[in-house]
Amino acid sequence: METFIQSLVSGVLTGSLYAMIGVGLTVIFGVMRIINLAHGEMVMLGMFGAYWSYTLWKFDPFVSLVLWVPLLFLAGMLIYRFLLRPIITGDELNGLLYTAGLSLLIANLALLLWTGDYRTLNLPYALEPMRPFGISVPVPLAIAFVLAAAITGALYLFLSRTDLGRAIRATSQNPEAAALMGINVTRIAMITFGLGTALAGAAGVLLMPSLYLYPTVGEILIVKCFVIVVLGGLGSIPGAIAGGILLGVVESFGAVYVSVAYKDTIGFVIFLLVLLFRPQGIFGAARA
Amino acid sequence: MRRLIPLVAALALFAIPLGVSNQFLLHLCISVLMWTVLGVAWNLLGGYAGQVSFGHASFFGVGAYTTMILYLSFGLAPWYGMALGGVMGALLSLPIGLICFRLRGPYFSLSTLAVAEIVRLVALNWESLTAGPMGLLITTLPEVPFFGSAVNWERKEPFFYIIALVAILAMLGTWAFTRSRLGSELVAIREDEDAAESIGINTVRAKVLTLAASAFFAGVGGGFYSLYYRYIDPDAVFAISLSMEMVFLAVVGGLRTVIGPVIGAVFLATIAELFRDRFTVGHLIFYGLFMMIVIRYMPEGIWGRALRLLRLSR
Amino acid sequence: MALLEVSGLTREFGGLRAVSNLSFEVRAGELLGLIGPNGAGKTTVFNLVTGFLRPTAGDIRLEGKSLVGLKPHAVNRRGIARTFQIVKPFPHLTVRENVTIAALARLGRREAAATEATRVLEQVGLDGKFDSPAADMTLSDQKRMEIARALATNPKLLLLDEPLCGLNSREIEDACVLIEKIRAGGVTIVLVEHVMKAIMRISDRVVVIRQGEKIAEGTPAQIVSDPAVIAAYFGKRVA
Repeated sequence: METFIQSLVSGVLTGSLYAMIGVGLTVIFGVMRIINLAHGEMVMLGMFGAYWSYTLWKFDPFVSLVLWVPLLFLAGMLIYRFLLRPIITGDELNGLLYTAGLSLLIANLALLLWTGDYRTLNLPYALEPMRPFGISVPVPLAIAFVLAAAITGALYLFLSRTDLGRAIRATSQNPEAAALMGINVTRIAMITFGLGTALAGAAGVLLMPSLYLYPTVGEILIVKCFVIVVLGGLGSIPGAIAGGILLGVVESFGAVYVSVAYKDTIGFVIFLLVLLFRPQGIFGAARA
Repeated sequence: MRRLIPLVAALALFAIPLGVSNQFLLHLCISVLMWTVLGVAWNLLGGYAGQVSFGHASFFGVGAYTTMILYLSFGLAPWYGMALGGVMGALLSLPIGLICFRLRGPYFSLSTLAVAEIVRLVALNWESLTAGPMGLLITTLPEVPFFGSAVNWERKEPFFYIIALVAILAMLGTWAFTRSRLGSELVAIREDEDAAESIGINTVRAKVLTLAASAFFAGVGGGFYSLYYRYIDPDAVFAISLSMEMVFLAVVGGLRTVIGPVIGAVFLATIAELFRDRFTVGHLIFYGLFMMIVIRYMPEGIWGRALRLLRLSR
Repeated sequence: MALLEVSGLTREFGGLRAVSNLSFEVRAGELLGLIGPNGAGKTTVFNLVTGFLRPTAGDIRLEGKSLVGLKPHAVNRRGIARTFQIVKPFPHLTVRENVTIAALARLGRREAAATEATRVLEQVGLDGKFDSPAADMTLSDQKRMEIARALATNPKLLLLDEPLCGLNSREIEDACVLIEKIRAGGVTIVLVEHVMKAIMRISDRVVVIRQGEKIAEGTPAQIVSDPAVIAAYFGKRVA
């Protein structure tokens, strides 16, 4: 029983970060109908940001969120405006190939600049895990979870209570109607892409103390991200959150009860099953 | 007259090692030729059938491991192993196709990515078969007599001839394929899959057959990789980036043409090898960069654009 | 024995019954009109007959043999061809290539397919436009081409899904002439249409469906005075 709870807790904690990455991707898809294969690289950049600001300037990674999130938001908007907007009108597959190219470009630039060495952050206050009720909880992961929940909560409020948030939701439901209502769809798309990128980057910053960092970490992250987003239904934020946590828990249980080696495989197998039998996702509206 | 061009080109290809003895240049050519095979293989499914696969590395890797294992454990010479590697790739493609072809467009592509990752993870963990992350190594290649003296495996020339032959066979295969009835079925499927079904085309069968042919050549390419580089591990031969390289080659060169992937391979593989020589890593930057440039400005690929310009100038 | 027999055909989507216990037959050589208000399920019926959808219940028989479970290409091989409500040409190919591919799928040899394609294209009256790209054609010509493409598969039964939609009155006239000519050539036709004038003029019999159920069947004169039909189109007060 204790193993079960431990496994569950670990899974939820990790899953919350998966969820944040997934929310970023699904928000982008919802508004732009682009499957952004470079999303994993945004996480990677967030991780590198946190790493460098800690290594060079001793910024606590969680504090450095304040620096990196706005920067990545800006970067996302610029990427959209100058790199993505020209090809948006083409067909879906072209968009997919284009972002695949972008992904390879960013990952390999990072590889060239910073080498492929594995890097970690060892925070001085994180050496010993906390032990509430006998469950081992790594400190950085716990902090990350709290912050991820806070950020996601803030996002929810933003989307439901502010005018800009409503504009984003409207555009994601029906871009033509939104344009007819006077919403500047291009501006919304740009902001949304910035938002999605910032979320990914924030997840990266939060994950840095808990994961190994290497320039191509985006590859495996993007595949997991798709599992999440498809599980939850493309375009659905609650779906992405649920999907993320679900994946975290499945991987955790898989590692404990099946085999550590195959834990990643389980997620992909579930992904295939969902794609085959319920492509709109477990929570998704029949939309795609 | 025009029909002689391919023949002349093939002869010129085989003549290269007679004129070039610089081992690095030969290595470059070998690399280009291997990637040509892979690009041509991918193009069968991606360009002609319009089904973009992000998981072709699984067939490449299966071919590589088949060749390696058959040689190391059973002593089967790698050139036969290569052919069997192709067969294994084709066999693997059957269940994969059955699963993934239920989906269309981007969903199909993503499913191939997931499947390829599963294959990679299995290879990584099934240590009794694949030796897992440690990989497999060929220390000595078989002694082969060739007109009296034994083949010198220390030089690049023998490998050049092998891959040149495979490349030519792959291109001939593609050319024959496109002119066949299956080829025109693929054109219809690519244009509109439902309409194709409604006029009596068995779209599933067409796609499965095309994938099998595509996987076969990818597997042969993988077999050659084993033979040439003599060391394989799951991260080398099952990597996502490898799948992407195949896609990029074909797209940059020009989908749906036989020559397109060749151009793509010559262009990208050359730049990559030269860059890799200088900087060791990051050569894939160019793949990503050119992919973006091509999709933005020349979606029909370099060769596609060249053909269009040629037609306009008539 | 009728050419096509549909019995108890039902198709559900989640909780929604798109087609409900539908039964009718199509006799060889006739032109059957299939009409009904929007959303009645007419295209769904076509999708079920041609194998694009699987029935939840019921049977579909062509010349006595069941079609249920067959994929669309197999249904086509048995002898049913169709057009689509929204035209689906092979956009990058020429008109000739569009039709040749259909003939090639059946005949297997290029020369035979090319001859057949030319014959069919002349039959539908697209002479002279053979080598234009399909995407550049007018809607009326694209629809003609789609009919030609369907005919190239040598069907016994041709299902036309709103072929007159989007055409002006002159084009409608021409299309009706073509449809009658095809019927005269021995092909049985089921025609889904909203243009009542055309249905009344060229159909031998008409089946009326509403919300997935058959509400009337008979000659054009009979169904036009059927109270259930009038209620369906104009509301109960008028009937």
